[in-house]
Amino acid sequence: MNMTRRLTIAGFAAIMAASVAMPAFAADLIAIITPSHDNPFFKAEAVGAEAKAKELGYDTLVIVHDDDASKQSQLIDTAIGRGAKAIILDNAGADASVAAVQKAKDAGIPAFLIDREINAAGVAVAQIVSNNYQGAQLGGQEFVKLMGEKGNFVELTGKESDTNAGIRSKGYHDVMDDYPDMKMVAQQSANWSQTEAYSKMETILQANPNIKGVIAGNDTMAMGAIAALQAAGKKDVIVVGFDGSNDVRDSIKSGGIKATVLQPAYAQSQMAVEQADAFIKSKKKPAEEKQLMDCVLITADNAGKLETFALSK
Amino acid sequence: MQGGVGRPASVLIVGVSLPMPKIKAIAFVVLASMLALAGCKFVKTADEQKQAAATAFDPDKRVAEIWDSKVVPYLDKKAGNFPDVMAEIAKSPDAAGARYGHKEKVGNAPWAYVAKVDGTVVAAETTSRAAYVDVDVNADKKADVRIFIGPAIRGTALRDTLDFVDFNAFKNQIEWAQFGKSFNLHVNRTVLEKLPRDNLVGKKVTALGAFPLPSGTDLPQFVPATMTIGG
Repeated sequence: MNMTRRLTIAGFAAIMAASVAMPAFAADLIAIITPSHDNPFFKAEAVGAEAKAKELGYDTLVIVHDDDASKQSQLIDTAIGRGAKAIILDNAGADASVAAVQKAKDAGIPAFLIDREINAAGVAVAQIVSNNYQGAQLGGQEFVKLMGEKGNFVELTGKESDTNAGIRSKGYHDVMDDYPDMKMVAQQSANWSQTEAYSKMETILQANPNIKGVIAGNDTMAMGAIAALQAAGKKDVIVVGFDGSNDVRDSIKSGGIKATVLQPAYAQSQMAVEQADAFIKSKKKPAEEKQLMDCVLITADNAGKLETFALSK
Repeated sequence: MQGGVGRPASVLIVGVSLPMPKIKAIAFVVLASMLALAGCKFVKTADEQKQAAATAFDPDKRVAEIWDSKVVPYLDKKAGNFPDVMAEIAKSPDAAGARYGHKEKVGNAPWAYVAKVDGTVVAAETTSRAAYVDVDVNADKKADVRIFIGPAIRGTALRDTLDFVDFNAFKNQIEWAQFGKSFNLHVNRTVLEKLPRDNLVGKKVTALGAFPLPSGTDLPQFVPATMTIGG
C-alpha cells in the first residue's frame, strides 16, 4: 500500500516535471478537429492530417466535436489556449461554425477547413472540399444505370446542417429526376448514422415492401440500409453509398452494396496540413480559398484498389 | 444579410388596481423591453421580401444573361477543331488545356476543353433520357466523340471551360452546382430540344462545345453549346 502510494506520487511528480519542462523544447502545435471517429471517414481525415503534421515536425492535438457546434466552440478555445499555430477543421455546421472560425482568426490562428464548407468567405484561410456535386452525379448515374432507368427507390439523406447533405441529394436528383420512371417512394434523413439508417430502413420497408433501390448520402447509412434489407430477406435491392469506406468496399466485393463514391479524404487532409505549414512558415496563402477535389466512382471493377479512402494506381 | 432582428415580444399589462410592488415590477419590465428594443432596427416585412427577391440566387437567369453575350463568343474564340485538340491532348493535356481549355487554379478537377466537331453520326442512343450521338470526325466509320443531346446531360463541362466564372465567387457548392446545371438546361431548351431524334445515323453533325479530359478508353463526353444535325 505504502509502496504503491509512493510510486504514484513519484510518477505524478515526474509527469508534473515533464509537463512543466515541455514548453521549453515543444514543437509548434497543429490542432486537428473533426466529427466523431466512429465514422471511419473522419478517422481517416484525422489520421491523414496527423501523419502529415508529424512528418513536417509538428505536435498535434487531435480532438472531436461530435457534430455539436457548442462543443466545437469550446475545442476552438482549447486550441487557442494551447497556442496552436493552425487549426485543421472538419466543421460542425455551415452556418454555426462561422463564428468559431472567426474566433480563431481573431486570436491570430489560421483555420484550414476540410470536407465541409462554411457559408462565409475570408474567415478560413482554406476550404478544401470534395466536389460533392460531381461525386453525387457519378453515384446518381451509376444508380440510374443499375436500376435500368426505372423503379421504386428510397433516398436516405444526411444531417441537415451540413452543406454536403443537401448537395449530395441535389446531385443525385439532378441525375435521377431526368428519368420519369424512377419513383422515389420515401426520402428521410438518417443523420449520417448507421444505426439510424437501419431503423429508418426497417420502418420504410414496412410501408414500401416493393422497392428496387436505396441511394444513401454516405457509406455508414448505406451500411445500415443494407443490413436492414438483408435482415428482411431482400437481397436484390440495389444500394449505393458515398465516401468510399473500407466497409463498403468489402460489401461491394462480396456482392452486397453495388457502388459508392470515393472522396479523397486522406489526400485532402494532408493537403490542408501542407497549406497550413506553408502559411505558418512564410504566411503564404493558397491561390484560392475554396478548393474542390474531384471524387471517383467505386464499383466491383476498382474496389480492390481502394484502401482507407485512397485509390492505388 | 440583415442582422437577426426578432419581433419584439408583446408585453401584456392586465388589471388596473395592482399593489405598488407589482406596478413597479411591470414598469421595470416595460422599461427593460424598451431599452432592449432601442438597439433594434425595424425593417418592414415587405421591404425585406423585396430585397430578398432582388438578391436571391437565380442561376437560370444568370446563365441566360451571359449566354449570347459572353459564353458563346468565348467558346467560339477558344475552340480548336476537335481532331487538333485531341492531338494536342495526346501530346500534353496541360499544354492543350492552356490553349483550348480551362480549369480551376487549385484542387484536382481535370481540364475542360473547347472544340468544334464536324462529322457524321455512326451510332445514336435516343431511348435513354441521357441521349447521345456517337460521331466520326475522320471518315473511318469509327466513333471519335460522344455528343450528349439531352434532355439529361451529364457533368458541368460548359461551366468548367469558362475562365470568367469562379467557384470562389459563389456562396457554396450548392449554388455553384446549380449554376453548372443551368448551362445544361439552357442548351437543352434553346438548342437540343429542336434537333431531330429519329434516323440519326449517317447524318452530318456540327457542334461547338466542351468536354472534360477523357478518362481511360471512354469516348470524349462532349456537351454542345450550339449544334446542327442534318444533311
